[in-house]
Amino acid sequence: MSQFLVKEGVKNQIRKGEKLVTTHCCYCGMQCGMHIRVDEKNNKVVGVEPRYDWVLTRGKMCPKGVTAYQTIDHPDRIKTPLIKKNGKFVEATWDEALDLIESKYKGIQETYGKDAVGVYGGVSMTNEKCYLVGKYARVGLGTRYIDYNGRYCMSSAAGGFNKTLGMDRGSTLPWTELEHTDTFFMAGSNTAECHPTSIQWFWKAKDKGAKLIVADPRETATARVADVHLDLLPGTDAALANGIMHLLIKYDYVDHAYVQERCNNFEELKEMTAKFTPEYTSKLTGVAAEKIIKAAHIFGKSPRSVVMFARGAEQQTSGVDNVSLYTSMALLRGQIGKFASGVATFTGQGNGQGGREHGQKADALPGYRKIANPKDVEYISGIWGIKPEEMPKEGVSAYEMFHLMQNKTIRALHVICSNPVVSSPNINYVQDSLEKLDFLVVNDFFMSETAELADVVLPATTWAEDEGTTTNIEGRVIRIRKVVEPLGESKPDWEIMKLIADRLGKGKFFEYNEPREIFDELRLASKGGKADYYGVTYEKIDEQDGVFWPAPAEDHKGTPSVFQERFATEDGKANLAVCDFRGPSEVQSKEYPLWLTTGRVVFHYLSGNQTRRVDFLMEQCPEPFVEMHPELASQYQVENGERVKLSTPRGDMIAPVKITKAIRKDTMFVPYHWGKKLAVNQLTSPALDPFSRMPEFKVCAVKLEKLTK
Amino acid sequence: MNKIMYLEFERCIGCRACQAACRECGDHDAKERNYVEYVDFTESRQTFPMLCMQCKDPACARVCPANAIQITDEGVVLSAMEEKCIGCRNCTFGCPFGIPKFDFEKNKMYKCDMCYDRTRHDIAPMCASVCPSDAIRFIDFDEMQQLRRKRTQMNLVEGKKPQEGNKWDYVPEFFGVYTDQS
Repeated sequence: MSQFLVKEGVKNQIRKGEKLVTTHCCYCGMQCGMHIRVDEKNNKVVGVEPRYDWVLTRGKMCPKGVTAYQTIDHPDRIKTPLIKKNGKFVEATWDEALDLIESKYKGIQETYGKDAVGVYGGVSMTNEKCYLVGKYARVGLGTRYIDYNGRYCMSSAAGGFNKTLGMDRGSTLPWTELEHTDTFFMAGSNTAECHPTSIQWFWKAKDKGAKLIVADPRETATARVADVHLDLLPGTDAALANGIMHLLIKYDYVDHAYVQERCNNFEELKEMTAKFTPEYTSKLTGVAAEKIIKAAHIFGKSPRSVVMFARGAEQQTSGVDNVSLYTSMALLRGQIGKFASGVATFTGQGNGQGGREHGQKADALPGYRKIANPKDVEYISGIWGIKPEEMPKEGVSAYEMFHLMQNKTIRALHVICSNPVVSSPNINYVQDSLEKLDFLVVNDFFMSETAELADVVLPATTWAEDEGTTTNIEGRVIRIRKVVEPLGESKPDWEIMKLIADRLGKGKFFEYNEPREIFDELRLASKGGKADYYGVTYEKIDEQDGVFWPAPAEDHKGTPSVFQERFATEDGKANLAVCDFRGPSEVQSKEYPLWLTTGRVVFHYLSGNQTRRVDFLMEQCPEPFVEMHPELASQYQVENGERVKLSTPRGDMIAPVKITKAIRKDTMFVPYHWGKKLAVNQLTSPALDPFSRMPEFKVCAVKLEKLTK
Repeated sequence: MNKIMYLEFERCIGCRACQAACRECGDHDAKERNYVEYVDFTESRQTFPMLCMQCKDPACARVCPANAIQITDEGVVLSAMEEKCIGCRNCTFGCPFGIPKFDFEKNKMYKCDMCYDRTRHDIAPMCASVCPSDAIRFIDFDEMQQLRRKRTQMNLVEGKKPQEGNKWDYVPEFFGVYTDQS
């Protein structure tokens, strides 16, 4: 099979002595297509070439994507296993590291039970690896305590979609249709910075006259050109969505035939939204009533609209409510399941979609099966070759695992593809929890802040050193190709899990020689589930530019648009959300009088463990900053560039001020990509959504102090 | 090569992928030759990209005392030739757009060459290839003309009509359809 795929008539620059390997970016959910340039003589990665014919991104890349290849052969790469001796890491052989892990895991599990060893996964890796993390925890280690960083990312979207639509596919439509949409309602998404290559589709639609409504406390690049910018207070999305639905009903923009035929709860929703008049909504959200009315009219009149949201709306204690309510807006307009219309969430992590489908979550098994459902347990046990009674019970969510480390229920932890001491909320507590562990193993290819705390660090490979598939922002399964051989002694995560399982006497459950064998098992494991990958094959992905799940049969071409006939709920009808406004968990007080919200910048990705090592990106954005309105700056007598102190009851940080009118006067913004003293997550609130257990990163009451000179 | 680099400032989202990509071009020595600036960050997040205009009669080449700046048959204004450049920096002062940069270590100027090793084979330059918002495009002359006509058309679709005081907003750039005397 060719490693360089290109459609007829498309020209790429191929330099002498070089070859191109066709793959996708390692960062966000857009999974932009790219070709990696490899020097044929020494087999080293030397650069990147645009993949003009990739259907979703058309050669376009953001600065992270352009420089992604620089992490592969980076001098900071961890090349051998490391064992901590007297507080210092010492290079070790794989055998030494595995011996230690084997004796520690066995010792702890014999003394304290199987559940004393936990697994903390991630979704910036292939479906094959994500699937195997779930199996490794339950079959290899036999522990119930497994969860993953997707809990901080997609769990509220998943919860909301499951509640309303009965199935959680991030987008109900393929994004190549977006250029035909008439109105976008975007809530809590700074898509120009977090998913830059999606902008081409929004701008294309705008060229044709599409309207844009953006709900965000900051005037982001999309909010700046929006027809209406709903500059809401952080944490008030539920009120806004109820307010818009109130107006949709009042002005009769409801698609009654669709609602009658395909939705439940309309009368209850009508009753609930009755009190959300523009004036009341305005009081709760801080958005002018005229803007809410204008937005409702634009949204209500559009024949084809897409409601989109991201972490801004989801990382709240009412994240699931927010998602359900925004989804209900699309349902009231009869949009879901039709051309160029529907509902979508912006997947933050590379494989945020696929990684949450196949059993890395505390309560889930492959194919969106549930561990609480005996039938699902029986099916998966059959695939894995264990007895159903051997299947561990449901565990707890990512942040709650740290409580269990504090009380010594979890005594050893294996972190795979994640950096929780930067990405979790309230990280001083998280760091303390990890330090209380008897034994910590971390797989990573750079020395992350979490890896620094480990007893054993195992060198993992980058995305370009292994084969596999990911599922992008649309629900399209795509192929990641191996570009070069693993650097040094590093090994792909699936091989590491296999080696450890083998040491624990579970080798027969992990007899894989290559990722394709894991994928074939995943296809079977997901067969019949909601996220059905049975019909997805590597060959089909190449043939038809990716395969949208569900693809339930071998000859099935995949399902680009879902819910065209019926929803995935038991009665086939969508459940309109009936949720009151609850408000964020923290309220402003005399001591903490301002709002703090967090997010990303275009130059960095997640905990920054990769992007903070790339020169170009660090030149553009070397440190976090506090974005604030000039009026707020004037009240506190601070100047642009001056260092200020922010504090909450959980922690404090010092960072320079960046003054702009493109943010609310009562809200400050700090990006979260840095660790230790530069981490805004020292301040963020660990309050959890009661349903999805998503922490409330996006809202906390904060104190601002000018530093004395 | 009858292609145009077409910039639409208001499409720019400030991601600076064009700058990262500029460094990736083979002859660019890992130094970017283009610019992305905020109009005024205190007021808004609006940014704009800036590239070499590849002038027909480039000031940079005119003021070069060493004839180091060559213009190709296609009209691309290249970086200074290493063996000719004397490092006087006249070009950096002469350019009305502030495009040429100066490498103080090598004592020579460098500037956008429209990724000549790509564009001469009809492959888009790196900046235009990656620009996620199509703020920078590498398109045919005819397509450029069509895009300009479309901009006026879109204003009509939106129901806006030029009025005294804002009519310049409706004029496709560089076309003197409206004048102060009208």
